[in-house]
Amino acid sequence: MAPISSVEYLSNPLVTSNQLLDLKNSERDNGLSVRFAQAQLTSAAGILLRLPQEVIAQAIVLLQRFWVSSRPEDREGFSPKTFSAATIYLAAKLSATPVAPRSVVNVYAYLTSKASPLLFVNPQGAPTDPDPADYYVSEGTYERERQRLFVCESVVLVGIGFDTRVALPYSLALTYIQVLGVSSASLARRVFEHLNAGLLSPQLLHLTHQPHALAVAAIYVAARETGIKLVEQNWWEVFDVDREDLGFLVLAYGSLANFAEAEAKKWKGIALSLD
Amino acid sequence: MSTGTPHPRKTLERLPDGKPRFRGCSRITDYDYLGKLGEGTFGEVSKARSKKTGQIVALKKILMHNEKDGFPITALREIKLLKQLHHVNILKLEEMAVERPKSASKKPSMFMVTPYMDHDLAGLLENPTVNFTEPQIKCYLKQLLEGCAYLHANKILHRDMKAANLLINNRGILQIADFGLARPYDDDPPKPGQGGGEATREYTTLVVTRWYRPPELLLQLRKYTTAIDMWGVGCVFGEMFKKRPILTGNSDLNQAQIIFDLVGSPTDETMPGWRDLPGCENITDWGSKPSRLTTVFRELSPPALSLLGELLKLDWRKRINAMDALRHPYFRTEPYPARPEDLPSFEDSHELDRKKFRDQKSKPPPAPAGGAVGIATQGEWAINGRSIPPLEGRSGGTGGAGPGSRVPGGRYANGHNSQGYGRRPLHAQNGAYGGGGDHRGPNPYPPHRDMPPYEQGQRPPYDQTRGSMPPQVYDESYSRRPSGGELSSLPVPAGDHALPPRPPPPEADPFRHGQQDEPAYRDDGRGPLPPPSHPRSRIPPGAGADYRRPAHDRDTYIPPYSHADPTARLPAMKNRRRDDRPPYRDNGPPPDYADHLSYDDMGAADRERGRTRDLDGLPPPPPPPPPHPQGGVYDRDRDRDRDRRPRSRSPGRDWERDSHNSHSHSHRDRDMHRDRDRPRDWDRERDPRDHSHSHSHSHSHNHNHNHGYRDRDRDRDRGYGLQDPYRR
Repeated sequence: MAPISSVEYLSNPLVTSNQLLDLKNSERDNGLSVRFAQAQLTSAAGILLRLPQEVIAQAIVLLQRFWVSSRPEDREGFSPKTFSAATIYLAAKLSATPVAPRSVVNVYAYLTSKASPLLFVNPQGAPTDPDPADYYVSEGTYERERQRLFVCESVVLVGIGFDTRVALPYSLALTYIQVLGVSSASLARRVFEHLNAGLLSPQLLHLTHQPHALAVAAIYVAARETGIKLVEQNWWEVFDVDREDLGFLVLAYGSLANFAEAEAKKWKGIALSLD
Repeated sequence: MSTGTPHPRKTLERLPDGKPRFRGCSRITDYDYLGKLGEGTFGEVSKARSKKTGQIVALKKILMHNEKDGFPITALREIKLLKQLHHVNILKLEEMAVERPKSASKKPSMFMVTPYMDHDLAGLLENPTVNFTEPQIKCYLKQLLEGCAYLHANKILHRDMKAANLLINNRGILQIADFGLARPYDDDPPKPGQGGGEATREYTTLVVTRWYRPPELLLQLRKYTTAIDMWGVGCVFGEMFKKRPILTGNSDLNQAQIIFDLVGSPTDETMPGWRDLPGCENITDWGSKPSRLTTVFRELSPPALSLLGELLKLDWRKRINAMDALRHPYFRTEPYPARPEDLPSFEDSHELDRKKFRDQKSKPPPAPAGGAVGIATQGEWAINGRSIPPLEGRSGGTGGAGPGSRVPGGRYANGHNSQGYGRRPLHAQNGAYGGGGDHRGPNPYPPHRDMPPYEQGQRPPYDQTRGSMPPQVYDESYSRRPSGGELSSLPVPAGDHALPPRPPPPEADPFRHGQQDEPAYRDDGRGPLPPPSHPRSRIPPGAGADYRRPAHDRDTYIPPYSHADPTARLPAMKNRRRDDRPPYRDNGPPPDYADHLSYDDMGAADRERGRTRDLDGLPPPPPPPPPHPQGGVYDRDRDRDRDRRPRSRSPGRDWERDSHNSHSHSHRDRDMHRDRDRPRDWDRERDPRDHSHSHSHSHSHNHNHNHGYRDRDRDRDRGYGLQDPYRR
C-alpha cells in the first residue's frame, strides 16, 4: 500500500509567481499595510479566543491563500476584518478547539472598537478605562455579523478551493534543533518567535516556501541572534534547503522587525480601517 | 523551495495539469448538467459532464442552510481527508465546484465533484438480474481490501463500511465512498500477521451503520482499531453471497444478539476482554451459543468460509487485517479473482425501471438499516437511483414511500406522510407501533395507519437452518422491519407531536417473531428489562441545554450534506416512536407482507408514485388529515410536519427539530426556516466537549425522563448519540 505521500503531510501547496504578481497589481497603495494589519488582527483575535498558536497560524495561512487565489471582486464583498474573522473561525472549526461564532464576533468587535489595544486601530493606544459599551455586541448586531461571517467563510472556502490543510514548521523546527544537537531553550524560543513573526510577513512566506525551509531559516537566524554555535558545515543542506532559499528566508525573517517599525511610523497617529 | 535536490519532487506550485495549486473552485458552469441522480431521496446528487475534460461526474451538493455554524464541519473534514487520498479503490474527489450567487451577500452553493460511478454494491445486490460469480466476488472483495489496506496503512478509520458505500463502475472498479464519518487513527497502523493491533486512545462508539457494526462497538469498546472496518468488510463479503445484508439487527441489542447467534457467544477464548466491556444496553450475558457460520454459509467453499470467519472474528485483536486478508488463500485458489476489466457491466441502477425490478424479485432484500451513523452519508453517494436506506431508517423513516424508498409500501411510513404513499387502507386504524411491526399473524394490534404493514423480508435460506435456535432472536435478524414491540412499552408521549398511546406490546402473539426485544429478554430470563423509557439514552441529564450538542443524543450522526434536500422525503420520525426500522432498499422487491395482504397492488401503486416522484422531483402530495383518535392538535401538527419536512433521510434532522420544538419555536417559524433547521446536524460533531456527553450517556439512561419521548425512542433503538468522529 503506497502510503499517502509524505509530501502531502509535510508540505503546502505553493503560490506561483504569476499569482504573486497579480496580487501585487491588484492591491491598492496600502495593500501591504492592510495585509500586515489583518494578520496582526487575526493573531490578536486568536489569542483572545485562547486558540493554540497552531490554529492561529493556520488561520493566517488560509487568509494568505485566499489573498492569492481569489479574484479581486471576491475580496470586495467583505471587509478585511471579516475575512480575518472568517479564517480564524474556519481554522478553529477544523481544529480540536472550535469556537462559537458569538465568541468570534465579540472578539472582533472588541479588537476594532475604541477599546482595542491594537495600535493600527487606536493610534493613541487603548484608553486606560475603556467603556464596555464601545464593544458590546447587541443581539441584532450579532445576528447580522454572524450571517456575514458565515457567508464570508463560504467565500473563503471557495476562494482557496477547500485547501484547508496547512503544514506548519513548528514541530519540524524542534526536530531539527534536536538533530543539530542543540538543547537550548533560548534558541527554541527565538526560533518560535521568528516563526510566529514570519506569519505576519507581507511576503507570504508560507506560500512561497515549505515548512522545512522556514524551520531551517528560523533556526539559522535565531542561532545567530542568540550566539549559539551550530555545526560548521552547511548543515541546512542536510534538511534539503539550499543556500539561495535560506538566504531569502533569513533576510525575510531578519527584516521583519524593520518592516514593522516602518509600518508603525507610517501609520503613526492614523487609524488604518479594516472595516 | 530548494532546488537541485537529487530526487525529483512533486511540483508544489502547480497541479499535474499545469494549473496553479492555489485557485478557487471551478464553476458549476464548467459542467453540463445531465440529470439528477437520486433526486428526492438523499439530497441532491446530479450527473454532469465536465466541459473541459468530457468526464462524466457526480455532483454532490453540499447543503448549507445551517445558520448556526456556518459551513458543515463534517463536509469540511470529508473534503480535507479526500483531498489527501489517492488510491484506485477510493472514490476520488476531483474538485470542488461552486455556483456563485448573484448577490455577494448570499452564500455560494458548493458541490463535490467525483467520478460518476454506475452502481453501488447494495444496489447491485438487490438487482435480481445480477448474479455475482465467485471470481467476481473475489474481484470486488480484493479491491475492497486494497482500499481498506490503503486507508488503514495511512491511519484512517472509515467507520462506515457497508455495501451502500461501495461504488462500482462498469469497468469493474470498486471504490470506497463516503468519508463523512472517517477520522484519522491515532495508533499504529495494523501490522502483517497481527490483526488490528491495539489502540491506546478512545474514540466514540457511535459510528458505523448498525448492520455493519462490529461486536466490540456494540459492547462499547472505546479503544477500537482498524478492525472495526474489517468487520464491515466481512459483512459485505457475506452479503455478496447472500445478496442481502447478513446481520440486520433492529436495535443495538438485537444486533449483538444476532451476531452472537451467527458466530457464537463471546467467550474468553473467542473474545478476550469482552467481560470488561460495558456491554450492550446493560446486557452482559450472551448465553453460550456455538458458531453457526459454517451452517449458515455452507454453500461457501472452505477458503471463502475461512476468510469470512477471519473477518467476522469476535476478537478484534485477532480479526484479520486488510493486508493479511489480501494474502489469504481465498485469493490464491480457484476460481481466481476476475480482473476488473473482465467483469460484466450492468445496466445503470438508476436507469432501471424499478417497478419491473421489484416485480421480478419476489422478496425484498432489506436495506441496511441506517443504523446509526453515517447513514445519511451513504445516501448521498448512492447515486444510482437507489435510495439510500440508512437515511430512511434514521430519519425517521419518513415517508418510506418516497421515491427512493426501498419500501414500496411505505414501510417506513411513519406517521407523517402517510398518505400519499400508499399507506395501506387496511390498516388505517392507528395501531401503535407496537403493532406496527409484524403483521404476519393475527396481531391484535393493528398497525398504525401510517405504518403499512410490511412484513419481514424474505428470510434468507439459512434462516431455515437455524433449527433449535431461539426463534425470536434469529428471526429478527432478518426482520427488515424495526420492531415495534419495544417501542410500545415506552411511556405515552406527550406534547404536540405525541402519538397516541400505543397498545401494549402484543406479547402473546405467537406469530410475532422478534418484534419485541424486551419481551424477548424476559423470556430468555436475561433479566429485567431496562426501564422502558429510554434505556439507551446517552444523554446525560441536562445535556440538552448545551447548544453544541443535540438535545437528545441519539446516535445520529450527522449526515453530510444530503439531508437538507427540501424535496427529500419527510423525516417524520420525530413523532413516531419507532426508530429503528431498517430502511429498505428501494430497488428491492416489495416486502413480503403477511399472506393476507395483497402486497403487490399496494406496492405497485406506491412504486409508481415513488417513481414518478423520483423523476419529477415533486414533493410528496399533501397528506389528507389522518384520522386520529387523539384528535385535532396532534393531527394538525403532524400534517404540518409532513408538509414541512423534506423527504430527507437525514437522521440528524429529527432531533434538531425536536430541540427546536423545545425551544418553543412555533411551527410556523419552523416552516419558514425549514432549510435552516436542517443542517443542524453538523453541530453535533463539532464540540470536543461533546465527548464527555457521549461517554456518559450510555450510563445515564434512566435519568432522562425529561427528554422528549422522541428522543427516548430513538435512543432506545438506535442508541445514537452525539458523535464526534474526529475528536475521538
